Amino acid sequence: MSASPSFPAASGPATGPAVRPDWADPGPWLDASAIPERDDDDVGRLVRLLRDDPPAALERMAGEAERLTRCRFGRVIQLYAPLYLSNYCSSGCAYCGYAADRRQNRLRLEPDEIEAELEAMQRMGIDDALLLTGERCPEAGMDYLADAVARAARRFDHVGIESFAMSADEYQRLADAGCASLTIYQETYDPALYQDLHRWGPKRDYLFRLEAPDRALAAGMRAVGIGALLGLGDPIADVVALYRHARHLQRRHWRGGVAVSFPRVRPEPGYWQPRRPVGDALLARVIFAFRLCLPDTPLALSTREQAAFRDGMAGIGINRMSVASRTTVGGYRRAVEGDGGQFAVRDTRDVDAFCRMLRRKGLEPVFKNWAAIFNE
Amino acid sequence: MKDALLLGGYEFDSRLMIGTGKFSDVAAMTAAARASGARLVTVALSRFHRAASDDLYQPLAAIPGLTLVPNTSGARTADEAVRAAMLGRELSGSPFVKVEIHPNPRHLLPDPIETHEACRRLAKEGFAVLPYIPADPVLAKRLEDAGCAAVMPLGSAIGSGRGLQTAEMLRLLIQDSLVPVIVDAGLRAPSEAAAAMEMGCAGVLVNSAIAVAKNPAAMAAAFAAAVQAGRAARLAGLMDCGESASPTSPLTSFLGGQEA
Repeated sequence: MSASPSFPAASGPATGPAVRPDWADPGPWLDASAIPERDDDDVGRLVRLLRDDPPAALERMAGEAERLTRCRFGRVIQLYAPLYLSNYCSSGCAYCGYAADRRQNRLRLEPDEIEAELEAMQRMGIDDALLLTGERCPEAGMDYLADAVARAARRFDHVGIESFAMSADEYQRLADAGCASLTIYQETYDPALYQDLHRWGPKRDYLFRLEAPDRALAAGMRAVGIGALLGLGDPIADVVALYRHARHLQRRHWRGGVAVSFPRVRPEPGYWQPRRPVGDALLARVIFAFRLCLPDTPLALSTREQAAFRDGMAGIGINRMSVASRTTVGGYRRAVEGDGGQFAVRDTRDVDAFCRMLRRKGLEPVFKNWAAIFNE
Repeated sequence: MKDALLLGGYEFDSRLMIGTGKFSDVAAMTAAARASGARLVTVALSRFHRAASDDLYQPLAAIPGLTLVPNTSGARTADEAVRAAMLGRELSGSPFVKVEIHPNPRHLLPDPIETHEACRRLAKEGFAVLPYIPADPVLAKRLEDAGCAAVMPLGSAIGSGRGLQTAEMLRLLIQDSLVPVIVDAGLRAPSEAAAAMEMGCAGVLVNSAIAVAKNPAAMAAAFAAAVQAGRAARLAGLMDCGESASPTSPLTSFLGGQEA
């Protein structure tokens, strides 16, 4: 898929849609008449599973996904919760509730507030915290993030970050501060659409973001989580690229963990309207197809999804879930006036209610499956 | 007749070890541990979680007659495994450690280089070291020399349920081993555990096959019976079997009964 090099950039380092590397290109597999002869990662199988039409096939895939998940991960769901440190942002992502041009109460947690939020999460039983910020800006830059990671690492066994794309040195600094994993979504793997949606700011640099997980793993981060924000572009093209991205990372970094998440933008009043909404059946099919093609890869589902969908997917492909998330800054101690969060949380159950559901399904909610001693 | 498993100077009257991850809840895990009759159970240090609902350590520590074997799962290097082992000993008081260093998070196969280094250091620290290893007869001897209390070669990959894929290497490994050989990982059916015991393994470790069974406690009991049967068969001496029937008239009668 070649992009016009004359596309004008509003600002930021990229001057036009990036030329994406082969390992993030779904193109060759999307045209049934031009399936490549060489297919070392069996992308063709994923595409067949994604396009397999009869509803009966979905049930069969679900059964196989459950079997594989159980063998590899057991009757266990690993839980984590996000902590929004700051909603200051320098980028203009069209779909994001925290984009710089949104009317939004801007907040940043100060050190004592970070401690208080972490404590509130600890009281909920959380031991795996994902720290989030917006794009790099003076209010929430590297020093701020490194300090927050160090604070979280003193309280939790597992700390991850989901923040702006960084240099290898910066990732190493966070790893040294106790950060075990990086979550970073490419949003869409389509360079032209990417350029279109990321209207200004540092995030316009497609390749710098695409290669961030490579830099993080090379810098000593234990694991990365990748994903495409479903609803932005052609979902099949994006998940095929996502699969290729996962396989690229797994081949290049043999000791690195690679997890995959499946966030989607839903049509929702007051939020950006997705151009290509992805329904429940397609999302379920995508998750089953990933489990079948990547049986050993952790697959995660967040509280963006409704309770009924999460309950259904727990253990049949999905083995990691966020719980009782607040997507507002300071949200674990209080409701924040006038702040809709980065996205709407659809599964609003507290930890107890969510764990009761898991136990009813014969799944053990696991809060701690890591030891801080491995981070030293 | 007493037929105890001797491990690091300790005696155990069961040759089935169980792993404690992957269960649907802690009660199912402890029920399986009891039903297995196992005396040795391994717990990941990463699943020690004081006073929390997902803690695996305290519920096991409360079962009389069990010896806990903390494992270092999650470690990628010898340094990390050694730190985890030290912390595990501090928290559990167990003299045992199961060294698990499987840096590739997808197949979880053990890293022989880091494992050897960790075992060498931990044996010097006085641990009874039980390393999870590839079914490599040379590595097994190197670990024996390093002071390990046993070696734990894999039958197939963790959680794969593929059984004794490494049977040929296990035979060579068992043949020369001076320390107990405990097959760890990959078993799916009790018959495979029996087969491992018949081959001369000193014990087997089972986790996924029990944790993921419909009735984990009943499966634990089935594995216990299979391990006993396999061990009894090994001690009884299995009949030799060849590719074809034995001839009824001696092939060497032409030698006229001369002895060599």
